[in-house]
Amino acid sequence: MSLLEVNGLTKSYQPGNPILKDVSFSVEAGEFIAVIGPSGAGKSTMLRCLNRMVDIGEGQVLFDGRDVGAQNKKGLRDVRKNIGMVFQHYNLVPRLTVIENVLHGRFGYKSTLQGVLGRFTEEEKRKAFDLLGKLGIAEHAYKRCDQLSGGQQQRVGICRALIQDPKIILCDEPIASLDPNSSRIIMDHLKTISIEFGITCIVNLHQVDVAKDYANRIIGLRKGEVVFDGPSPLLSQRFTDEIYGMKTAVEMRELITV
Amino acid sequence: MQQITQQPSVTRHTRSGKINIRSGNRVSLVLRATLWTLGALTVLAFFFFDYTGFRPLQAIPETLYNLKAMFLEPKLSHFGWGEAAMQVAITLGLGALATVFGAAFAFFLALGAAENLSVPWLSKSIRIVVAFVRAVPTVLWVLIFAIAAGLGSEAAVLGMLFHSVAYLVKAFSEAFEEVDPKILEALRSTGAGWWQTVVHGVLPSTFTYLLSWTFLRFEINFSVAVAMGAAAGAGGIGFELFMASGFYFDLREVGVITYMILAIAIVLEVLSTRLKSRVYSAS
Repeated sequence: MSLLEVNGLTKSYQPGNPILKDVSFSVEAGEFIAVIGPSGAGKSTMLRCLNRMVDIGEGQVLFDGRDVGAQNKKGLRDVRKNIGMVFQHYNLVPRLTVIENVLHGRFGYKSTLQGVLGRFTEEEKRKAFDLLGKLGIAEHAYKRCDQLSGGQQQRVGICRALIQDPKIILCDEPIASLDPNSSRIIMDHLKTISIEFGITCIVNLHQVDVAKDYANRIIGLRKGEVVFDGPSPLLSQRFTDEIYGMKTAVEMRELITV
Repeated sequence: MQQITQQPSVTRHTRSGKINIRSGNRVSLVLRATLWTLGALTVLAFFFFDYTGFRPLQAIPETLYNLKAMFLEPKLSHFGWGEAAMQVAITLGLGALATVFGAAFAFFLALGAAENLSVPWLSKSIRIVVAFVRAVPTVLWVLIFAIAAGLGSEAAVLGMLFHSVAYLVKAFSEAFEEVDPKILEALRSTGAGWWQTVVHGVLPSTFTYLLSWTFLRFEINFSVAVAMGAAAGAGGIGFELFMASGFYFDLREVGVITYMILAIAIVLEVLSTRLKSRVYSAS
C-alpha cells in the first residue's frame, strides 16, 4: 500500500470554477517529488488538501491508509502530526526564539494543557538542538526568529517540520523567497533529509531546472489538471512547454526582445 | 486644446464653464449643506439666550479671582496630606481593580470575538453585545449596578468593569485579527490544537498590544474613578473633590486636589511610555 493516495481530487473555491480537476496520483515512501506548474495552477491548494488545511472537495485523500477527508478533529490532528509542512514565507512566530519555534512542531503530540504550558521533555529539547545542529543554525537557537536571514528562517521551518517525526514533508514553494545560494542550501537539506531519514518529500516549485536536479519524480500541474507525472529525466522540453502553456524558449525570447 | 474639446464626456465643467477638478458628488454637497446649517444655527442661538443677571464686567473679574484662588493659592483645610494620599490610592485601586479584572475577562471574550479564531455566530454575537455595552456610558452602568449593590465602591467597580470589558474586547479582538494568518496555518499544520495555537502563536504576537491597550484603559479608568467618587459615592479623591467643591465651597482645596489628579495622570503617562519602549525594545 502506498503512503499517500489521491483519487479524483476536485476542489473549487467558487462553484463552477474548479481549481483542481480530478487529480489522482499515489506516493510511495521515500520518494522526492516536485510539483511544478505556473502560478494559479493549483499547486498550493493541492498540497493543502493533503493535510486538509483546506477542505477537500470531491475525491479522496488516503494517508497511511486513513481517509483524511473523513477524520474528525482528533483524527485530523493525528494525521497532521505525521505530516510536516514547510512554507514559502517560513511562517514562524517572529517574536519567539528559534528553539521555541522548533518545539512548536511537538504540539501534535501534546495534550492541550501540556501544550499550553509549553512543557517539553529533555528528550524533545535535545532533539531540537540536534536538528538545529544538523541544519547548521544551532548557534542561533536563542535568537529571536526575526533576527535571522531568510535562508536561516527557512531552516528553522524545516527543523519545526522534522521534529514532528513526520512520514512526509510538504513544502510549499520553500525557495521562492530566497536568493540562489540560500535556495541551493535549502534544497540540499531537503534532499539529505529524504535520503538520510527516509522521509517522503513533496515540494512545490516553479523552477523547472531545480525540480529536475533534485526530484526523482515530477508532477506537472496546469489549470488544475495533472499533465505530467513521471520520473524527472523524462520531463522533456515539450512537456515543460505544455505545463507552462508557452512557446519554446527561443520563441519566448523573441517575443520579449521584440 | 483640440483634445479637450473632443472629450466633453470626460471633463466636467463648473457653471461658469471652467474645468472642474473636484469630483462634486452628493457626499460633499451634503457635507457643505450641513456645515452651513450648523453655522447659521450657532449664530442664531446667541439671539435667544436668556441674558438676565449676566453682567460680563462683573463676571470676568470674579471668575479670574476664583481661578486664582484655585490654582495659585492651593491649600488643604479639611484633611491632611496623609489622608489625601490615602484617598488617591483608593481611587487608583478602584481603577486598577476594574482594569485587571476587565482585561482578564476581555482576553477570553476577545478570543471568541476574533474572526480568525472563532466561529462566525459566536464572534458576531459577542460583538453585538459588546457594542451595546460600550454604547452606554460608564456612569450609567455604575448607576445601574447601584440598584443591586447600592451606591458605593462595589457599584463603581462593577460598572467600570463592565465598560472596560466591552472596550478591551474590541481592542483585543482587533489585535488578534491582525495576527499573521500564516503563523496560525503553520501551527495548525503541526497538529496543534486551538489553545496551543492561541497561547504560542497569537499571544506572543500580540502581547505588547494587549499590554498597551490595558494600560490605556487604566488611565481612562483612573479618571472615571475620580468622577465615580463624586457621582456614585465610590470614595477616593473624587469624593473629596465633590465635598470640597459642592459642600464646603473651598476653592483652594479643589485646587490641591486638581493638582494631585494632574500629577497622577502625568505619572501614568510617563509610566506607560516607559513600559511601551521597554517592551518594544525587548521585542
